[in-house]
Amino acid sequence: MASVVSAAMPRSQVDLVDFVDWSGVECLNQSTSHSLDNALKQGYRDDDGLHLESDADEQLLIYIPFTQVIKLHSVIIKGPEEEGPKTVKLFANKEHMGFSNANDYVPSDSIALSPENLKGTPVNLKYVKFQSVRSLTIFIEDNQGGNDISKIQKIVLCGTTVDTTNMKDLKKIEEH
Amino acid sequence: MVLEATMICIDNSEWMRNGDYSPTRFQAQADAVNLICGAKTQSNPENTVGVLTMAGKGVRVLVTPTSDLGKILACMHGLEIGGEMNLTAGIQVAQLALKHRQNKKQQQRIIVFAGSPIKYDKKTLEAIGRKLKKNSVSLDIVDFGESDDGKPEKLEALLAAVNNNDSSHIVHVPPGPNALSDVLISTPVFTGDGDGGSGFAAAAAAAAAGGLSGFDFGVDPNIDPELALALRVSMEEERARQEAAAKKAAEDAAKQEKGGEQASSSHDATMAEPNSSSVPAVDDKRHNLTDDEAALLEQALAMSMDDPKSTNVAVADTDMSEATADDHELALALQMSVQDNAKDSPTQSEMSKVLEDQSFVSSILNSLPGVDPNDPSVKDLLASLQGQSESQQKQNEDKQEMRRISK
Repeated sequence: MASVVSAAMPRSQVDLVDFVDWSGVECLNQSTSHSLDNALKQGYRDDDGLHLESDADEQLLIYIPFTQVIKLHSVIIKGPEEEGPKTVKLFANKEHMGFSNANDYVPSDSIALSPENLKGTPVNLKYVKFQSVRSLTIFIEDNQGGNDISKIQKIVLCGTTVDTTNMKDLKKIEEH
Repeated sequence: MVLEATMICIDNSEWMRNGDYSPTRFQAQADAVNLICGAKTQSNPENTVGVLTMAGKGVRVLVTPTSDLGKILACMHGLEIGGEMNLTAGIQVAQLALKHRQNKKQQQRIIVFAGSPIKYDKKTLEAIGRKLKKNSVSLDIVDFGESDDGKPEKLEALLAAVNNNDSSHIVHVPPGPNALSDVLISTPVFTGDGDGGSGFAAAAAAAAAGGLSGFDFGVDPNIDPELALALRVSMEEERARQEAAAKKAAEDAAKQEKGGEQASSSHDATMAEPNSSSVPAVDDKRHNLTDDEAALLEQALAMSMDDPKSTNVAVADTDMSEATADDHELALALQMSVQDNAKDSPTQSEMSKVLEDQSFVSSILNSLPGVDPNDPSVKDLLASLQGQSESQQKQNEDKQEMRRISK
């Protein structure tokens, strides 16, 4: 590859993959052999052979809850030129959305990805709308080439935490 | 035990008056619905089931998904037959009802009873199927009643569009003497995917299958579980006793032959015991007494009536035989030392008589793990056994005869 665009994360932002609550992650209309883990999980997402693919049509609805409240600054979405996503709508703190009501709500942010973005350039979001995010819903409406299947190789969420208590880390105080 | 919310779509159109399923198509359908509701709620107490009718004045939801079985059964009363079935609207309403289920963690499933002819074309059905798949809703189709040309194909096309990872199923039920519910019990509609389904479904299946065909002692475990259990336990105890005796005989034979091999055959016997105790089909085990075991059993019985000298030797040798499980040279040495001690033992002749039987010995060797019959040391041993047994055979044959007659 000639020039790999390095995804330089903005200052003081962290990769939020560590704060994803994997037990609640859902993806509607994903193909069983190419599931969301391929695009989201550490290790899988860097493997170019693995990608997330849609099944019945080109739309995808991804629901990602977090273990603590976060602020979302930017996202990086990598995908192939033709089948990579084009219109992506993000919803903060909306649980259990379906395709039927995906267009009923106003998205917290709506981005149109360019081929540049698909190579790995981060897309800055409306930071003010994502100040205390417990869960994120990503709705991929269509893809670059208008194909029947959308493919995504990598999804990276960049932001900061709001230092809420992670209940799992709470330990009992020792009796002395 | 999948956590599931199910919507059952009932066909209450005019076609359900027909009597080709007893007593009427509608009644057979209602029975099937009752059974399905019971099975679903039993397999997981948090499962919910809802019912809607597709024909009549229009699609009407009788009860939204609930785990209260009484409510579901109550709403099945007083249903009227009439009108035409609206499959697409029925499925869409079912999907909507599932979308608004209270527990969002439940998987969504729709069960459709398609009894009347389908007036929609394949394309429409496929579009609906894709929409269901997109929203991860599984669909079970019960194709019964009218079978005009194209209906099975249309329904198969619908299934193909919905099916994701074999979670959706279709069942074609032709008219006949069997009740609709009986046919359904054995299908994945009842038993669920993979995990084998609930005990309810299995028990219902057993009762429906009827008669003594599946049962071990002519006792239906469902009608009289305690009796069936008692019979099974006593059978297993008897077999365990016999196997212990056989095992003892096998261990005695070991002191003549390689100690290791017999230890593993006794291990086989002990392993067979827990295996067999877990298998409910005890009848089959009865007939599994092979010739080998029969021969060993005879020896055991003969030996138990023998003088105590042989049994002492046997006890002493049991420990050693286990120790030499994997060491052929050590087994050889052990055997030779044992042979010196027990030369005059009458049991030896019986053992050797058995061991002479080349086919028996090689069949034992073949069945034992870790023993290669082509191993030179094994072959040497067999040869030496043959030579030794022949010399003693004549002497001891008469002794045996006399002993057997006197018992």
